[in-house]
Amino acid sequence: MRLGLVIDLDTCVGCHACATACKEWNASSITAPLTDYDPYGQEPSGVWFNRVRHYEVGEYPNNKTINFPMSCMHCENAECVTVCPTGASYKRPEDGIVLVDQDKCMGCNYCSWACPYGARELDHESGTMKKCTLCVDRIYDQELPVEERQPACVLACPAHARLFGDLDDAESTVSRTVRDRGGYALMPELNYNPTNQYLPPRVRPAIATNDLARPSLARKVKEWVNRVVER
Amino acid sequence: MNPSLAVIFLTLFSGSGFGLMAIVALVNDFHIDGGLSPLRTVVAVVLALILVTIGMVSSTAHLANPKNAWRAFTRWRTSWLAREGVFAVLFYPVAITYLGWVFFTNKDQDSVALVLGNASAVLALVTIFCQGMIYACLRTIRQWHTPLVPANFYVLGLALGATLLASIRLMLAGPDRTLIGIALSFLLAAAIMKAIYYFWIGRPSGTTLQTATGLSRGKVRLLDQGHTFGTFLTREFSNSITPIAAVRFKVVVYVVGFMIPAGLLALGLYEPLGILAILAPLSAFIGIGVERYLFFVEAQHVVNLYHGRAPASMPMMHPNLRANPTAEQPPRRLVPSYQKR
Amino acid sequence: MAATPKTEDHSKQEIKYSTCYMCACRCGIKVTIEDNQVRFIQGNRNHPINKGVLCAKGSAGIMKQCSPARLHNPLMRKPGTERGAGEFVEISWEEALDMLTKRLEHIRATDPNKLAFFTGRDQMQALSRLWAQQFGTLNWSAHGGFCSVNMAAAGLYTLGFAFWEFGDPDWDRTKYFMLWGVAEDHNSNPMKIGIEKLKSRGGKFVGINPARTGYQAVADEWVPIRPGTDAMLALSMIHVLLSRELFDWDFLIRYTNSAFLVVQSPGEKGDGLIYRDANDQPLVWDLKKEAFVSGMDAESHPALFGEHRTPDGRTVKTVMTLLAERYLDKRFSPEVASEICGIPASTIERLALEMAHVAFKETIEIDVEWTDWAGRKHNKFIGRPVSMHAMRGVSAHSNGFQAARAIHLLQILLGTIDCPGGFRAKAPYPRPVPPPGKPAHHSAPNTPLDANPLGFPKAPEDLVIDAEGRPLRIDKAYSWEAPIANHGLMHMVITNAVNGDPYPIDTLIFFMANMAWNSSMNTANIQDMLRAKGEDGEYKIPFLVVADAFHSETVHFADLVLPDTTYLERYDAISLLDRPISEPDAVCDSIRHPLLELDRNVRPWQEVLIELGARLKLPVFTNEDGTPKYEGYKDFIIRYERYPGVGFLAGWRGKDGSKSLRGEPNPKQWDKYIENQGFFQHHLPMSQRYFRFGNKEYLEFAKEAGFNYTADPIVIELYSESIQRFRLAGLGLYDGPQPKDPVDQERLATYFDPLPDFYEPLEQQRIDKKEYPFFAVNQRPMMMYHSWDSQNAWLRQIIAQNYLYMNRAKGESLGICDEDWVWVESHNGKIRVQVRLIEGCQEDTVWTWNGIGKQSGTWGLKPEAPEATKGFLMNHLISELLPEKQGERRLTNSDPITGQAAWYDLMVKVTKAAPGETGVWPTFSNVMPLPGASPKPDVLRYSTRPEA
Ligand SMILES: Nc1nc2c(c(=O)[nH]1)N[C@H]1C(S)=C(S)[C@@H](COP(=O)(O)OP(=O)(O)OC[C@H]3O[C@@H](n4cnc5c(=O)[nH]c(N)nc54)[C@H](O)[C@@H]3O)O[C@H]1N2
Ligand SMILES: Nc1nc2c(c(=O)[nH]1)N[C@H]1C(S)=C(S)[C@@H](COP(=O)(O)OP(=O)(O)OC[C@H]3O[C@@H](n4cnc5c(=O)[nH]c(N)nc54)[C@H](O)[C@@H]3O)O[C@H]1N2
Ligand code: SF4
Ligand code: SF4
Ligand code: SF4
Ligand code: SF4
Ligand code: SF4
Ligand SMILES: [Mo]
Repeated sequence: MRLGLVIDLDTCVGCHACATACKEWNASSITAPLTDYDPYGQEPSGVWFNRVRHYEVGEYPNNKTINFPMSCMHCENAECVTVCPTGASYKRPEDGIVLVDQDKCMGCNYCSWACPYGARELDHESGTMKKCTLCVDRIYDQELPVEERQPACVLACPAHARLFGDLDDAESTVSRTVRDRGGYALMPELNYNPTNQYLPPRVRPAIATNDLARPSLARKVKEWVNRVVER
Repeated sequence: MNPSLAVIFLTLFSGSGFGLMAIVALVNDFHIDGGLSPLRTVVAVVLALILVTIGMVSSTAHLANPKNAWRAFTRWRTSWLAREGVFAVLFYPVAITYLGWVFFTNKDQDSVALVLGNASAVLALVTIFCQGMIYACLRTIRQWHTPLVPANFYVLGLALGATLLASIRLMLAGPDRTLIGIALSFLLAAAIMKAIYYFWIGRPSGTTLQTATGLSRGKVRLLDQGHTFGTFLTREFSNSITPIAAVRFKVVVYVVGFMIPAGLLALGLYEPLGILAILAPLSAFIGIGVERYLFFVEAQHVVNLYHGRAPASMPMMHPNLRANPTAEQPPRRLVPSYQKR
Repeated sequence: MAATPKTEDHSKQEIKYSTCYMCACRCGIKVTIEDNQVRFIQGNRNHPINKGVLCAKGSAGIMKQCSPARLHNPLMRKPGTERGAGEFVEISWEEALDMLTKRLEHIRATDPNKLAFFTGRDQMQALSRLWAQQFGTLNWSAHGGFCSVNMAAAGLYTLGFAFWEFGDPDWDRTKYFMLWGVAEDHNSNPMKIGIEKLKSRGGKFVGINPARTGYQAVADEWVPIRPGTDAMLALSMIHVLLSRELFDWDFLIRYTNSAFLVVQSPGEKGDGLIYRDANDQPLVWDLKKEAFVSGMDAESHPALFGEHRTPDGRTVKTVMTLLAERYLDKRFSPEVASEICGIPASTIERLALEMAHVAFKETIEIDVEWTDWAGRKHNKFIGRPVSMHAMRGVSAHSNGFQAARAIHLLQILLGTIDCPGGFRAKAPYPRPVPPPGKPAHHSAPNTPLDANPLGFPKAPEDLVIDAEGRPLRIDKAYSWEAPIANHGLMHMVITNAVNGDPYPIDTLIFFMANMAWNSSMNTANIQDMLRAKGEDGEYKIPFLVVADAFHSETVHFADLVLPDTTYLERYDAISLLDRPISEPDAVCDSIRHPLLELDRNVRPWQEVLIELGARLKLPVFTNEDGTPKYEGYKDFIIRYERYPGVGFLAGWRGKDGSKSLRGEPNPKQWDKYIENQGFFQHHLPMSQRYFRFGNKEYLEFAKEAGFNYTADPIVIELYSESIQRFRLAGLGLYDGPQPKDPVDQERLATYFDPLPDFYEPLEQQRIDKKEYPFFAVNQRPMMMYHSWDSQNAWLRQIIAQNYLYMNRAKGESLGICDEDWVWVESHNGKIRVQVRLIEGCQEDTVWTWNGIGKQSGTWGLKPEAPEATKGFLMNHLISELLPEKQGERRLTNSDPITGQAAWYDLMVKVTKAAPGETGVWPTFSNVMPLPGASPKPDVLRYSTRPEA
């Protein structure tokens, strides 16, 4: 099993709901709390697992804005795990989720250096590395209704731009969507083999307009012949 | 990358200590200068151990949660950082035994001493290699992901070690051509290696914001990074300096790190320098310290691309400079305030 | 390998359902509570609005709940200190309410209009309105006048429903969606859900907006329009459609007034009014009978086009003829429009044709039997799957009423109103065009008003002016300056009250409105006005009461602060009598109830209103014997009936809770709502879901439910006779009140066009565009709500500073670089701000995020917070008055028809600041912390669980 997320860049409106929902769930979750620094002051900052960035592609007026959420990709070749000297970082063989054991981490930052996707953030208060858990404590929680055994970010996303599932199962919704929509992984050249995939913006075919009446100069208002329609 | 003092000190001091250890073995193995005397061997090994220890201790300052530092050896099968720890830890008993043997037997040329000395040197060299590989194994940082990094660590460590040894010799017993020759060759080798490295990191890398996002329709620019102030990521990864500053720093590296020490050592061949010989390693440490600062600050992590920062090929370019190459502006401040506390 | 991390210990948790309050979308929330602390807030999957999803603000509710900006106690301005100095003393509720009661009693007994009560993003307008009506003051309104009354009015005077919160695209069926001037909207989550549905079906989404962020980012086509020119774009598309005869004949004849005949007698009384018979029925020309017949006659065959002579010799033309004559004119051709809107002519034409193609060639049908207004049975609903939505990009201009009407016209010609795939109404809409109910006119001591303070004028008689034509309301709503100001003009209250124009007031109550900051135009000046004193040394606004939950900039100016609870701590009813949460397919309302125990000396404002009502002995709130009628808000909601059987909540009515919509009060009503996860919905049967303006079954249902007084069909008005009546008054051709001031006459004659037209926004008509070449507009950031989310420790990490966004090429051509400091100057003032150059910005436009700038020291933030030191408000540049013109009194900077605040008419110049000129300007003095305010932690580690 290879659990992960699929992000739809065609519908992501960049609302940051996934980011705050993630923050909210994880504030009291297995790596809780997620410290905030100077929350009411000059340079508010804090630990987040999911951040939404915004890009522009092309130049005006042929520009497109792309909203780009990023969290841990739960890479197949998770170098963050390989490099961790303490064994705090690990990848679960059963589902591919990459986690940090808060009891083992010594806060050396090394794993974050190894992560190309900026998925890891050190909590200066606990001194430990924190990251997206793929909401492992939601997705396996048998006490939650089945529909809610999903990551918090996925449940929140108003544009349904986030899908969660097993990317090993060729028939899962996520796998099929990735196939149909030409989903891709980020920075494949680094060979981390990320599980999370991105769906590119759709290209809409043009709408035919040649099946419509032509303008005719002769048809001025006065000559408009009425059609008989019952009121 | 964030040029954290702890990590700069770690690599600088432990590198020089390991380098010194290796040079000591080299000198004793080949009877260079008739071999070091047992006393000098003891002094040199003690110095090496002190340097390695300074490095190791300062590295723990880098840990946010040092109480778990003991776990750092557990993943030696996969992690170069763990390996470095393991070898560094192995180094101590061997080096201390060597030191003890030489000290108590007052022999540094018997087979036990040679075996222990060479064992210490091998462990030192392996540790330097691991240290280099900590950086070189990271595919995320193009400037580090190269065999040039361990090679650099070697020549720089050995150059420091050799300079130290040569200057100790100068101070305690006047010049020795071979020792100074070794130091000068390592300094030269280091200068050449560094030049190759600096040349190499200027090369463009294939990864750009465009490829990193997979958005291939046109030029990709950052509109908003999604947070007004810094995050762990910007604090850790977005340090950079302007190209002009980088050039200035490199001049310092070459002048202070290589030329002054080399000049002083060469001078030592002709003029008794006495205590002034200390200036050679001192200068080398400062210069190579700056080199180490540059090593970090010029390293551009790929994640910076997502923050709209320069592609890895232009590691020192500030976004403002890209938009308007003529304008010289201070880098945008992205360091969160908690760092200041 | 480490063990699987533990999941939650649910035994300590409690799950409760309520309604989010972070914006007017009012999503259903599922709140997990642990130890009287919020563990998690998520969307309620069963809720009709958000169907389980939640936005960034909603998900950050925890940080609202623990914000240091929360008020703790009633506060009184410290005696002997000046207003706005920020010195307060804590007082008890008893003292506070005694003080207020005494004051209000006196006002009510003398001149009730001396109380002005204005509410902001109020979600209980029905109660505050009732209270004001009972008090007897005309001076009440909510925020609609500065928000989007143009949308409401244009819709209600055209379709009987509107954009804003009164209608929705048919997200499940629409194939083409055009979004005009929307960044986030009130319907935030449904919009996002809907756009995704449309796109996954392969539908096309067109975003018309000078900026490309948010929704525009995912638009299949982005149309960077010049601000203020949407009417022209819509009318030009109409030009294209008309020139090719691409409109829905049947729809127009059956459901609209397009075939009605309009009298053509220029210069005479009655010109432009609908030709009617003796029974006041509108007449049409019957093609079969070749005679004038009633337009309401189901058997008629009205001619859509034509000009006729009436027996009394007047010329009459059909509405459609007038429309075609108007819009086929060259001045609406795509070529001319292109010059005005900055959009290529070919694009305008293509967009119009694409919509025509989808409407007419991709028609959809739903096989359901339904009955039309005349009792005729049909076996299917025919849908034209083109839909639109528009909001403040259109409404916040002084030509927004007509622009929104133009967009509606476009929708109507395509036959896309309340049909499958089109733009659908939400109950209790549609209502008659315009809805019944005139604004209250008469105020008397100790007497409730005989009508609602707000209503829908159809003719000059309905204005709220005295015999001399002077405004009777403090905001001059329903005066000649803003005749159909259906939501009042909140943005004028402070200015008018301070100027004593039309009269001075005594007490001003603001509930939930940040009028000393982001909700006022000309902020700095407004703050001065709040401090202004008359020659007698008295404040020009003698007593200012602010009911708020947080430490806003306005609280700082209050004489009396009444602290409210948060949305997780109180009862609320989101009522059908208010701005409902209905969906096109279902009539809905919802509630909030206390989920957390109170930890401060605060009281829900609705409780305060009910108590004040009883103390003042307002009839609705008092028994015959003078004792309070209701125990409190909860009791009031259950027992109060607006008409027999109709109360604030529509669900579980009847003694046993078995009735919906209408029925006797049910004492267990709250429990039923709580049991049902906080909401009620009545699903309309399939046969009642479309063409509701002419759907007999629905119209009868709506009458029974109390939405409408009659079950008569609702006629869509392409041509607005109500508007024409005002124009006649301006022309001096009206039997009834007519304005005396030539300024008013001219405004009525010019802008009260019964067919929408494009005119340049008023402020822009008076501005030298060479001097001020940029349009300056705002957008709402999706993750911030006006001023109030800046206190949110999570949301402010996402955005704590705003920039002035400018087109990159344009900026570079002016020598401006990214992050340069620039001066932005309007006719009203200047500010210094930081620039960001981007691609997604129309060349002649600059924009910024709304409401990010703050006054230092407010909102529980430290004085050095970037919101105060780097963020800015565009409001400083916007004037609440139009630029002065010789020989003219100062006029409000608002739509001349509705009084809608014209925030986005602003024109500015942008110049690079001199070297060394950095930092925002102006800055405002730092506000002192309130007594009893919570500390602001340096490190926040919120968690309901001990550290793992
Ligand atoms: N997150 C969040 N949600 C909110 C609010 C909030 O503060 N934050 N506020 C709520 C309130 S009170 C309201 S009124 C609604 C308003 O919701 P919106 O209608 O979305 O309001 P604005 O953000 O003002 O968006 C106006 C949009 O119109 C564009 N625009 C400006 N001028 C023109 C023009 O002339 N023509 C066209 N076509 N476009 C133009 C602007 O670029 C901007 O994108 O949002 C509500 N929802
Ligand atoms: N430049 C510019 N200015 C604008 C706009 C623009 O687009 N551009 N938009 C305008 C529009 S459309 C609107 S609607 C207004 C927004 O106008 P406002 O209605 O003034 O909106 P806010 O500033 O969000 O909040 C009003 C107050 O409500 C308080 N509040 C929040 N929750 C509660 C509660 O539970 N109880 C009580 N009693 N108070 C509470 C907040 O603390 C705040 O002081 O801004 C207008 N101003
Ligand atoms: S995204 Fe980063 S943290 Fe996550 S598995 Fe991949 S390398 Fe590790
Ligand atoms: S920070 Fe923690 S998880 Fe990361 S490498 Fe170091 S010990 Fe491992
Ligand atoms: S899966 Fe869970 S932890 Fe990961 S980003 Fe989403 S909400 Fe956050
Ligand atoms: S919640 Fe969904 S739409 Fe919003 S930013 Fe996240 S992925 Fe995009
Ligand atoms: S859109 Fe967001 S803030 Fe508004 S009610 Fe819904 S969840 Fe709350
Ligand atoms: Mo609004």
